[in-house]
Amino acid sequence: MSKKKTRVKVNLTRRDFFTVAATAAGSAVAAQLVTTGSLSPFSQLKIAQVTGEETSRHAPGEYHWGMVINLEKCIGCEYCLRACSAVNDVAPDKPWNIVVEDRTESGRKFFFSRPCLHCQHAPCVEVCPVQATYVRDDGIVIMDYDRCIGCRYCEVACPFDARKFNWEEREDENAFVPTWGVPEVERRSRGVVEKCTFCVHRIDSALQKGLLPGEQVEATPACVNACPVGARTFGDMNNPDSTISHILNENPTLQLREELGTNGSVYYIPPREGI
Amino acid sequence: MTTLSISRSRFSFSPGFLAWLSFLGLCIVIGLISAYEVFTKGLIVTNMSNTVPWGLWITIDLSSIALGAGAFTLSAIIYLFRIKALERIARLAILVGIVGYTSALLTLVMDIGRPDRFWHPWVYWNVHSVLWEITWCITLYLGVLIIEFAPVISDLPLFKRWPIIPRMGHLVHRAAPILALAGLLISLLHQSSLGATYGIIKARPIWFKPSMPIMFIISAVAVGPALTMGIAFIIEWVTGRKTVPHKVLRTIARFSGLALLVYTYIKFWDLAAVTYYGSTPGSNQALFVLNQYTPYGFGFWVGEIVIGIVIPVILFLIPRFNRNPINLVIGSLFAAVGIVVNRWIVTVSGLIVPLDYSPGVEFQLDPGVYTPSLVEWGIAVGVLGYALLLFTLAIRFLPIFKNGEIRSSG
Repeated sequence: MSKKKTRVKVNLTRRDFFTVAATAAGSAVAAQLVTTGSLSPFSQLKIAQVTGEETSRHAPGEYHWGMVINLEKCIGCEYCLRACSAVNDVAPDKPWNIVVEDRTESGRKFFFSRPCLHCQHAPCVEVCPVQATYVRDDGIVIMDYDRCIGCRYCEVACPFDARKFNWEEREDENAFVPTWGVPEVERRSRGVVEKCTFCVHRIDSALQKGLLPGEQVEATPACVNACPVGARTFGDMNNPDSTISHILNENPTLQLREELGTNGSVYYIPPREGI
Repeated sequence: MTTLSISRSRFSFSPGFLAWLSFLGLCIVIGLISAYEVFTKGLIVTNMSNTVPWGLWITIDLSSIALGAGAFTLSAIIYLFRIKALERIARLAILVGIVGYTSALLTLVMDIGRPDRFWHPWVYWNVHSVLWEITWCITLYLGVLIIEFAPVISDLPLFKRWPIIPRMGHLVHRAAPILALAGLLISLLHQSSLGATYGIIKARPIWFKPSMPIMFIISAVAVGPALTMGIAFIIEWVTGRKTVPHKVLRTIARFSGLALLVYTYIKFWDLAAVTYYGSTPGSNQALFVLNQYTPYGFGFWVGEIVIGIVIPVILFLIPRFNRNPINLVIGSLFAAVGIVVNRWIVTVSGLIVPLDYSPGVEFQLDPGVYTPSLVEWGIAVGVLGYALLLFTLAIRFLPIFKNGEIRSSG
């Protein structure tokens, strides 16, 4: 009896295993095509929604937006933090920009500030289970708040603590409005992760109007505009004539945690005597 | 008259059983109240923060999936290696798997910020993400488990009226080797990917190591079957009916003991490589911080090593001890506790150590201190109540220990 059973099982195993495997693989491919792939009826809508039609006019990879922060110049006034919090309507207890104080080896005080570094090989982008965050053609790492499921893996994976989660529906008054600016984007809903966007809304609309981010104020991130000592510079690192390219060429710069190879788009000019 | 009294006694509720059910009901009510809090107010009601974004619930996910690993391990042993003697425990192992995986999914839905978007990983793919792969594997594997369990349901006397249903159940049972193979592949993938979830985070010194996925899968393979074995004994004591031959259960205990030794071997080399000499910059500092702010050393040596490994190995492998069922049950429960402690330490300790990515930051960020809030415990109690209720009902009403018998009679 048991021998008979065994034989039946062997016969079934091979053929059915292949059938099952082929069916599974086929449906996996089909699901991908129909949901997000080329056959999806929504793919065009989705692309338009996340990239914005303005940027699609330009060749992909035409720009690479970057920032240089001069730690020698920074005076720790936190204007960048305030302008950012006003324009992006950020909660006071989880700013996108942070400013901290430190001392060089010889004991001289200096200040360190940090937006999102917009890594080109971003850990947060790799680990997101739903592709709710991605690196755009122009180097900006951005969130799709409509897709995020709030698992917080990106927050755990980010080497720079640049991501914040919305633990509750926000009802707070933004103390930085209107002194430091007015909100230009809507508040993020409860349960999604948010982060610095390099004020992407300004960049996209400015390019449409023919303005150049980094040169005209209305096309430049709020933190860069607000800095009273010009410690921050923003611009297109692909353009050799831009201010940022000149600064990068003429100064010794460093990236944070270069050993991880994430290749952020934010460069630092260290204090003159070193760190 | 005799038949009448028999059928009546089968479905009657003894006072003890009723008390047990109401206790479980209370647990589930606590869970539902906590779930209401979370859904209305958001995750602010937990003690998780931006420094420690994962906590008790992720520990429950990881633990219940690891403890459900008996399903794929034993199915593979029975149907792929064709060890027929173990067949009597197959259905119980699958039941443990179903309970574990559904508990994990329940907790996961509570844990994500947007439960209404739980389906996104199935539609929006990021094939680079281990979490995406885990989500797919867990749902696929739950499907496999349910199909594997289908014959148990179709064998119910209820379906005798429609003979097509039990016949289909038997057909599914014949496909058990295929299901076991699929289960094995999917489980090997996601059980280790759960470790990789931490192991690939290069930014965190305490997590980033290639041994992580291997330690996760081996510990799951070791402890999953042991828990199934312990549960079989407990069911026998509670119902007073023979469930699985004790020889079979002892074999499983010996298997778990050996697997725990393999786990110890890898854990030893992992520890040696991290702390061998001098200082691996990140890890050493991280360990220092952990020992200062948390009972990390105690949790590791007592919780993971002594309770989770040494005691179970002694009870499972030394003949003098493993002849006594009580020792085997104690061993399996201790091993399960060890797994839970291990998953807790992995999850929380990696997050407690603050990130150090630039000058100034080490003074800015405090070590994350995390103790679960009442609501988090409430959800934990609710999920436990759900798991035990599913068990109780299945043991009570389903032919869990009749694998093979019904087939030969029908």
